[in-house]
Amino acid sequence: MSALPRTVAPLPLFLKVHWSDRIAHAGLVLAALVLFVFLVLPLGAILVKSVQDKAGDFVGLANFTGYFRTPALARSIWNSVWVSTLVTAITIPLAFTFAYALTRSCMRFKALVRNVALVPILAPSLLAAISFIFWFGNQGLLKGVLMGAQIYGAPGIVISLVFATFPHALMILATALSLTDARLYEAADALGTGTLRKFWTITVPGAKYGLISAAMVVFTYALSDFGIPKVIGGNFNMLATDIFKLVIGQQDFSKGAVVGIILLLPVAVTFIADSWVQKRQSALLSARSVPYVPRPSRGFDWAMTAYCLLVAAIFLAVLGMAVYASFVKLWPYNFSMSLDHYRTGLVEAGVFDAYLNSVSLGAWCAVVGAAFIFAVAYLLEKTRSLDGLRPVVRLMAVLPMGVPGMVLGLGYIFFFVREDNPLHFLYGTMGILVVNTIVHYYTSSHLTAVTALKQIDNEFESVSASLKVPFWRTFFRVTVPVCLPSVLDISRYLFVNAMTTVSAVVFLYSPKTTLASVAIVNLDEAGDIGAAAAMATLIVATSAAVCLVYYFLQVWLDRRTQAWRG
Amino acid sequence: MDFLELTGIRKEFGDFQALKGVSLGVRQGELICFLGPSGCGKTTLLRIIAGLEVQSAGTIIQAGRDISRLPPMKRDYGIVFQSYALFPNLSVADNIAYGLVNRRMPRPARAARVKELLELVGLPDSAGKYPSQLSGGQQQRIAIARALATSPGLLLLDEPLSALDARVRVRLRGEIRGLQQRVGIPTILVTHDQEEARSMADRLVVMKDGEIEQIGSPHEIYARPSTPFVADFVGKTNLLPATPLGDNRVQVGEQRFQCTVNSAAVKGAALRLFFRPEDVMVRGVNGSTPNSAAAVVEKVEYLGPYSRITFRLNGIDQPLVADLSLNDMAEFQPKAGDTLRVAVPPERLLTF
Repeated sequence: MSALPRTVAPLPLFLKVHWSDRIAHAGLVLAALVLFVFLVLPLGAILVKSVQDKAGDFVGLANFTGYFRTPALARSIWNSVWVSTLVTAITIPLAFTFAYALTRSCMRFKALVRNVALVPILAPSLLAAISFIFWFGNQGLLKGVLMGAQIYGAPGIVISLVFATFPHALMILATALSLTDARLYEAADALGTGTLRKFWTITVPGAKYGLISAAMVVFTYALSDFGIPKVIGGNFNMLATDIFKLVIGQQDFSKGAVVGIILLLPVAVTFIADSWVQKRQSALLSARSVPYVPRPSRGFDWAMTAYCLLVAAIFLAVLGMAVYASFVKLWPYNFSMSLDHYRTGLVEAGVFDAYLNSVSLGAWCAVVGAAFIFAVAYLLEKTRSLDGLRPVVRLMAVLPMGVPGMVLGLGYIFFFVREDNPLHFLYGTMGILVVNTIVHYYTSSHLTAVTALKQIDNEFESVSASLKVPFWRTFFRVTVPVCLPSVLDISRYLFVNAMTTVSAVVFLYSPKTTLASVAIVNLDEAGDIGAAAAMATLIVATSAAVCLVYYFLQVWLDRRTQAWRG
Repeated sequence: MDFLELTGIRKEFGDFQALKGVSLGVRQGELICFLGPSGCGKTTLLRIIAGLEVQSAGTIIQAGRDISRLPPMKRDYGIVFQSYALFPNLSVADNIAYGLVNRRMPRPARAARVKELLELVGLPDSAGKYPSQLSGGQQQRIAIARALATSPGLLLLDEPLSALDARVRVRLRGEIRGLQQRVGIPTILVTHDQEEARSMADRLVVMKDGEIEQIGSPHEIYARPSTPFVADFVGKTNLLPATPLGDNRVQVGEQRFQCTVNSAAVKGAALRLFFRPEDVMVRGVNGSTPNSAAAVVEKVEYLGPYSRITFRLNGIDQPLVADLSLNDMAEFQPKAGDTLRVAVPPERLLTF
């Protein structure tokens, strides 16, 4: 009954655009513009700078060849690579065992050890380095254990990085292990499969993508972390510290740009590999599965409890040492407790402003960042047309994950320092720190928002349109309330990271906008490690308090909304 | 003139032709059903009418107004999705009033309208509840109330019952039909469930691969399918290759049957013979009954209100099926291996 003759080529047909949809389009264009200006252009500035000399003339690859001819600099590449590899090789098995204990055993104290193991997220990575100096440094309590060896340099960097990266790996691995289908194990049991064989044929393959993903996160973190090698690295040079020295110390922007690009390469590779893994992973999990419930097994559960408690004890020792040292009057001569480091080292030295700046940065990021990121994710996922622009915005939203903070910060200086840039007025303000931090931590926040949005019915917008209700009404009346838990998650994540980050902002602060985490670097450099520990303690305490506030906010929200969440 | 007229609607997704030039009219006050297997283009057609997809070519006229290029906000319809799409954080009353608030309707008038609609869908006491506190069927009725609240000119139902369990589905199908007739709103229902379509619709539009196969009343579609696809999709059929012999007679294997041969069929050309299992008679059949033959029973399936017999006729390779009533079963008691005399009345034997 196809009565009509086929036309040769169908005419392209477009719907007229309703004015309310134009607002959505304008929003999306604006978002694209913001991400382009504050992400792509600064990165482009690094590329440009890397092929210019100090006077700004084009010199081709001369900066690169110059870099590789400097043995000390070229050695940093090797240092960065082997340290990161070693950290990955240590952290992943430790974290996997821990995650395995949490998900597959009936051990006790699960919640306790889990929370302790996640504590490093609340602290700047520097805290571990400072703490290990107090334990094993020249005046450390356990210096004797090293039998003459030095903690400064590679050993200190490696163990500090293990501490700092552990929770990141743990979260990924615990998720991967908790997603296995119990029926696979039941089938294996029915076939009389041994425990070890089940582990290698079901558990490990099931967690394969989680393992790859976690390894890449750890490797990238280690490769691009600045605070730890700065504090405990001594003369051991890595790429991240080289950038800082070249740019801030020697004002050699061109070589700094070269290091930035070198740092971008391996991270870009892991980033691409990771997005490949993510795609595979989601395909793997689309099937409906039965959650695995571990069965008690006396010896195994005891072993796992012992292991986790040991790890938790070490973590508490690391954290506790920084806190303890911040109260010690004069290390290592007078171990009496005092608030001297807080009072003299921070408040009277005028460094306390840095702490207030950090809190204010955190608050701004938590509010502005969460609102912007969620709104952009909404426009991307739930509005229609502008099909050419959407993939571009999506790409820009996941790009920051592949950009180390040091590189992003470097790009920001190159881009905003130029006086002919109309946005130059941002340079040296709190504004640039806020924008930089939001962009730096954009990707995870964006993915959280997208996940939340994907879980709500896709037809809300269609229903609204049929009822002649403009989209923003539904956005504020339905979408935001339904997604509020995720918005709070994003907001908390941005707050905590703004409190603890060092890498990008170390290039961007001005005397008026020094941040707490940067102040730790400066205090440590000035030899005032007690005050540095005090500042680190303040940051951890604040992050923890902020998390508690958000926790109570969630509880309150759950209570208010439980009527409709059902 | 029809209330809604679609002319030459085409839709391409890349190289895939989802709709290949569909034309049809929806009459004032009728419930018309787009029926077809998944991928036939029925949902795409509905979404094009709603303005949620854009057709590659073709025009849509609703109530004399060309809406082909209007965005959804400028069209006049209410829509109900399979997922209900009720706003979870709003009460039932707020859900229903969602489109009314925007029309600056005064609060008392709004409350009255909500009450009226809740009574219409038979849930007068659920105004203060949240969607999660209602059953699936109740949620679907609230979704219909919300779609009707603004008194749209057209109601679109996209697989509205597919997410419900079988018993609720059967009950709700009658309720929706009753509601639609009381309101008198022209309605398009998309479904893949032919029983649902037959029981609810004034007219069916059977679709396949982006084209309309047949439009007609449920009875026409069932009794006079115009293509083998329709015959097979709407109910169980026996389809046999046949050769016309002229004089309204066809040859199937070694058997000859009397039937109504399509006048277009040329003598000797290949035909397909079609009859429904319930058209097979066993009672009062003897050697002189037209189209009678000895059947060898292969299998008997007890299906409750009737039983399905699989049998073979001498000289025909293909197994055939017959549905026998409980009375017939009691009288003839066919078992596998038995021989039974069966017949199909000539007026029930159709050809394509």
